[in-house]
Amino acid sequence: MKRTIPAAIGIAAAASLALTACSGSSDASGGSSPTGPVTITVSGWSLATTPEFQTLADAFHAKDPNVTVQLKEYDPAQYTTLITADLAAGKAPDIVTQKEVKNVSVFQSGGQLMDVSDVVSKLPKDVSGTSSYKIDGKYYGVPYRQDSWVLFYNKDLFDKAGVKYPDGTWTWDDYATAAKTLTTNLKGKGSKALGTYEHSWQSTLQGFANAQSPGADILSGKFDYLKPYYERALGLQSAGAQVDLGTITTNSLTYQAQFGKQQAAMMPMGSWYVATLISQQKSGDADTFKWGFAPAPQLDSSTTGLDKTPVTFGDPTAFAINANIDKSKVAAAKEFLTFAASEEAATDLAKIGITPSITNDSVAQTFFSVAGAPTDDLSKFAWTKHETHPENPTSSKTASVQTILNDLHTAVMTGSSPIDKAIKDAQDRFKSEVGS
Amino acid sequence: MATVVTDDRISTERRSPRRSRPGRALARRNTLIGWTFILPNFVGFALLTLVPVIVLFYMSFTSWNVFGKAPWVGLANYTRLIDDKSFHTAFLNTLYYAVIHIPLTLVAALALALLLNRKMRGVTFFRTVAFFPYITSIVAIAFVWNMLFSPKYGPINQFLGLLGVEHGPGWTVSAQWSMPAVLIVGTWREMGYYMLLFLAGLQTVPAELHEAARVDGANPWQRFWNVTMPCLRPTTFFVTVMLTIGSFKVFDLILVMTNGGPGQSTLVLSQYIYQKGFGEFQFGYASAISVVLFLLCIVVTIFQFLWNKRRES
Repeated sequence: MKRTIPAAIGIAAAASLALTACSGSSDASGGSSPTGPVTITVSGWSLATTPEFQTLADAFHAKDPNVTVQLKEYDPAQYTTLITADLAAGKAPDIVTQKEVKNVSVFQSGGQLMDVSDVVSKLPKDVSGTSSYKIDGKYYGVPYRQDSWVLFYNKDLFDKAGVKYPDGTWTWDDYATAAKTLTTNLKGKGSKALGTYEHSWQSTLQGFANAQSPGADILSGKFDYLKPYYERALGLQSAGAQVDLGTITTNSLTYQAQFGKQQAAMMPMGSWYVATLISQQKSGDADTFKWGFAPAPQLDSSTTGLDKTPVTFGDPTAFAINANIDKSKVAAAKEFLTFAASEEAATDLAKIGITPSITNDSVAQTFFSVAGAPTDDLSKFAWTKHETHPENPTSSKTASVQTILNDLHTAVMTGSSPIDKAIKDAQDRFKSEVGS
Repeated sequence: MATVVTDDRISTERRSPRRSRPGRALARRNTLIGWTFILPNFVGFALLTLVPVIVLFYMSFTSWNVFGKAPWVGLANYTRLIDDKSFHTAFLNTLYYAVIHIPLTLVAALALALLLNRKMRGVTFFRTVAFFPYITSIVAIAFVWNMLFSPKYGPINQFLGLLGVEHGPGWTVSAQWSMPAVLIVGTWREMGYYMLLFLAGLQTVPAELHEAARVDGANPWQRFWNVTMPCLRPTTFFVTVMLTIGSFKVFDLILVMTNGGPGQSTLVLSQYIYQKGFGEFQFGYASAISVVLFLLCIVVTIFQFLWNKRRES
């Protein structure tokens, strides 16, 4: 007993010395000059197949050799869970990439993101997607890419079926008619390809409905506006112009294979697929065929035509600064955010087929000069001119509403529930689970 | 009688101080050795299970969203459960799964054990085959079964077509058939594991009891019902308890096979907890649902223990 007391005091003294040493080193780093060499860490995912992170890191380091950007790789499927755990544990990188807009408000309300309004205020005017990171008048992220949904189409299959290419004037009804005609004509020519392929995600349908329907707002709890979109989608399924949802899920169909292997003549998809298709055609994972993309079909003719601005949807991807970043790194981190949203970075991203948050004519020229990219005017129009609404409003309720809407989607598309009943169930659930 | 007990106590208390110094040292040493044996496991259990469970109970009274403080909300999470339609659906779906899965797996595992307890060629191979699904990756299982269940192109519906069923069930893409599909896969996957437990139990059934019953003229069914089953009672009880808890906690199979759909037709409590916690960052509310699931498991298990005790007596 007598021996234990001095031993305990000794351990406590050693521990306190060690802690003092730790805090001392922290103070030292905190006091280092921001103009000296700094290493900032950035979260990313699938670095081997998602080259945008390394491209930006290298370009930024070349611009400012004092700052080294170190990437920390996460599993893309578990990104939100893993980055949340790291933030809660205080081990997250200095710059936290915002993969999904629906989680921004959770990170912000949890005090995990730094206010970067000063960075946003100095950005070029043509940077899109900043509003998705605005909460209570302050900005918590800087978008570096802004994908928008367009309509991909296979020119070879259109030619084979003798159907005219999309011309930017299509409404959803025109699209449905074309899909049915393509299916019939292709079948007549001995092809198994269908008119279109709409992937199983809820956003493939709801994203357009939310963006294009007048007054639509998923946070309102009223989802009647979804009905015409579902009627059209079910019509395509029953006409055999589109693979049914059951077959997609039970056979784990991928949209890359469906369009890339010419199983479908059209496919509404995000602009990120441009880079994937170019790469897969090079590697042989996709067939070689002529393709292009058109503006997304519109609700009505008020937004169709090359003299109008088509309405579509898409969430930006942004860099945000970890609120617990070492003070000595803040300047470098903000400098990186500014760079990522610059026209210079946009050009670098466009070179690898990424749609940056700036899509002006100069960046577009770079994007479409990539070998394998389409060269037609309609693709350029669709890429540069659009009114892109965010798929997920920045709100703490978004994640809950999307869960409800996903259940509505699977219930309707599998024929498990009539459209009206599924919408009513979703609205009732909104009232009881999300509230006003 | 009371005096005797009192005397015993007194004598024990008096004897204790008289224990010799080497005796006390030995007792202390033995205690320490005992602790040393259980400590590694207990530390792991305490850190990874006990402490999180205790914290879970606390969290269920807060609105914690994973970051920062956990504001105390009293019983708000529990009162919210009363009007939460999704919780009601998940609760009923969990009961649906458990009520079918427990007896179905129990009977299938026992039948398989009886079948593979006989002396026949290749019995080890068949036992391995029966156990194999249990150690196979759940993702691989879900992938293959989803293809088998494919309403249009799956072999199951094609086989049903040969039998004259024109429009086979929608299976995992039908609100009516998704739960039966999950139940079939769940039972198929787990019956091999419980078969092993029953096989172990069958080895403890004395051969002479069967012999005596046979001499008395009992037929195979009578020997099974009056000899095998009573001897298997401890195993059956253990299997039932494990199956019950496993059925209430079913999560991974449903997550990868149907993700709770179509609609909410296969949404179960574990998945709802995951959805609310990791999907929507409502960890306080998810904790409250976890407490309900915990209570459900513990109440049913206690009931099973009492029932078993009553039957034994």
